[in-house]
Amino acid sequence: MNLLATEVLVPRYGIAWYPWAVQYFFLIALSYTSLWLAAPGLIFGKRSWMPTARIAMLACVSTALVAPVALLADLHQPLRFWHFYGFPTPWSWMSLGSFILPLYLGAVLVLAWMSWRPALEERAQAPGWAGKVAGRLAWGRFRIPRPLIILVGLGALGLSLGIALYTGAEVAILRARPLWNTYWLPWMFVATGVIGACGLVLLLNRISRARNGATNRQMLTVLVMACLAAGLIALTWFLDGVNAETGSVAMALDSIRHNPEWRATALWGSFAGTLLLATAFFLRKRPGWRAWAWLVGLLALHVAWMFRWVVLMNVQTVARNSAGIHDYHVAFGSYGLLGILGTLGLWLAAILIIDLYIPWRGSEAKAIDTTTSSNPLDSSQGAPSHG
Amino acid sequence: MDPIRRTLLGQLARLSAGAALIPLSSVATAGINDQPSRRGGDPEKRYGMLIDLRRCIGCQACTVSCHIENAAPLGNFRTIVSQFEVEHEETGELATFMLPRLCNHCEDPPCVPVCPVQATFQRRDGIVVVDSDRCVGCAYCVNACPYDARFINKETQVADKCTFCAHRLEAGLLPACVESCVGGARIIGDMRDPQSEISRLIEQHRDELMILKPEKNTRPQVFYLGMDERFTTRPDEAKPGIWDVRNQQGKEIGYEFAGH
Repeated sequence: MNLLATEVLVPRYGIAWYPWAVQYFFLIALSYTSLWLAAPGLIFGKRSWMPTARIAMLACVSTALVAPVALLADLHQPLRFWHFYGFPTPWSWMSLGSFILPLYLGAVLVLAWMSWRPALEERAQAPGWAGKVAGRLAWGRFRIPRPLIILVGLGALGLSLGIALYTGAEVAILRARPLWNTYWLPWMFVATGVIGACGLVLLLNRISRARNGATNRQMLTVLVMACLAAGLIALTWFLDGVNAETGSVAMALDSIRHNPEWRATALWGSFAGTLLLATAFFLRKRPGWRAWAWLVGLLALHVAWMFRWVVLMNVQTVARNSAGIHDYHVAFGSYGLLGILGTLGLWLAAILIIDLYIPWRGSEAKAIDTTTSSNPLDSSQGAPSHG
Repeated sequence: MDPIRRTLLGQLARLSAGAALIPLSSVATAGINDQPSRRGGDPEKRYGMLIDLRRCIGCQACTVSCHIENAAPLGNFRTIVSQFEVEHEETGELATFMLPRLCNHCEDPPCVPVCPVQATFQRRDGIVVVDSDRCVGCAYCVNACPYDARFINKETQVADKCTFCAHRLEAGLLPACVESCVGGARIIGDMRDPQSEISRLIEQHRDELMILKPEKNTRPQVFYLGMDERFTTRPDEAKPGIWDVRNQQGKEIGYEFAGH
């Protein structure tokens, strides 16, 4: 017997996590995956990866600085953030994250400072306020031993794995939302994070006027691999659940079946992902076209951001008990558009301040080996060049 | 929903209601996302609720009295009665179905272990409460509850939910929703006391009782008598009624509970 049910009076259950959460998940994923992109050059001493490591470290630090602000803003009681530390709760993923996050931020800042120090020290000789600021930041004249940099780098890498694990698990354990409740979600967060980080490095490689050819090539290679990995994870998730009556795949198929907006989103997601893979693959094969790699970078950032938007915002509009789907429109205020733009603005400010005061371009090569000069193709001079 | 899945879920609802009736003593575990130990409340008691749907007329007196008692902001509900107009697909026969919803004060509440500051906790009498002075308003619990029983109170900016009117129970009063129920459909009581009305009713109707969303393994302690098993989970393809009221510009009208 089948029935047609009309729910006469449907209460509206609003979303509980706001776009701030998307911004946090986006920025922190960019940060820890950028650290991974910086690791071969900066931590493991691969010289060919040094130009990439410089840009990736800039991306890593700037996003790591802004991400906690977005996270704090998503709390309804931001001034009570100290409760996280006053009442440690080891069985809650979010509480674990609140301890991993500042440690990660600290490790990243120390690592960045260590890698920028030689150039800061050099600039400290320069006349004027730039030299003074650099002198203060360099904190004296001494040489940080390479093993210490490696040690801090490995610590930061370990903590970055903690961030990747907790951000994924935090969402994936929620049985109440079947679309989230899958082991494949944390992997997808990581894969799309790498996609976004490659995009950000490609973009920064262009707008910082570093325009390093090797960086473009390396990032396009990683991008292609990350796209393939993301596709494989999505496929495994789908095959894993395609025959199940309940669970995230069944729920996703249900949502697509009943809602034209979800259909459009799914179509756009698949299209953008395929386009990204195709263009990255094409540019990798055609060095002549690589000047346009930054456009691929923008698309990669879009894919990484959109995945988080769909997962965190759209999924919250799926009704759990009541009929229909909950309407959600991005508000203009700080709970919506202003929040999204605000975090972007803050990130821009962070990156501009770093660019203004810190000679990030030419430092890491010297941190590894002060005797050899770096590739002349890199704009590895101490001073920023906006040429 | 296909018939096989429906039957399966129905049986699951019955079986799980049976399993959920065995109140386990609180066990403290250390694993991530495991239930922490309970605190506060009377360890001799275990509160639960039985809702006799045969007596519910969908008057929303419980919704209103709860709103007045607990001062929830307009548009948020600690309890509400879902009202369905049901039409038989073949015969066109019409019926109504009423489903009062509230926090299930689960034996395995998914909202408790997620709380990063232990503001949400379960008392030893089974009632799940929020310490509003400690809550940081991260809304993790709101997303963790499969029953939509929680919300962020926009006036206090902290998590808010049904407490079985713990403040009234402690004063020897019944919860507002129970007190105001016209048909006497809501029965609350101590399930550890074999002489309580709820214990007797549970004993009498043990095989007919159902719980909501048994597949979530939360072991709810709100039991429904006279339940149609198709409503233990969200009825597939149910249409919203009042949402369809729109003006000429396609904008929703006539919906008083919208929060914006």
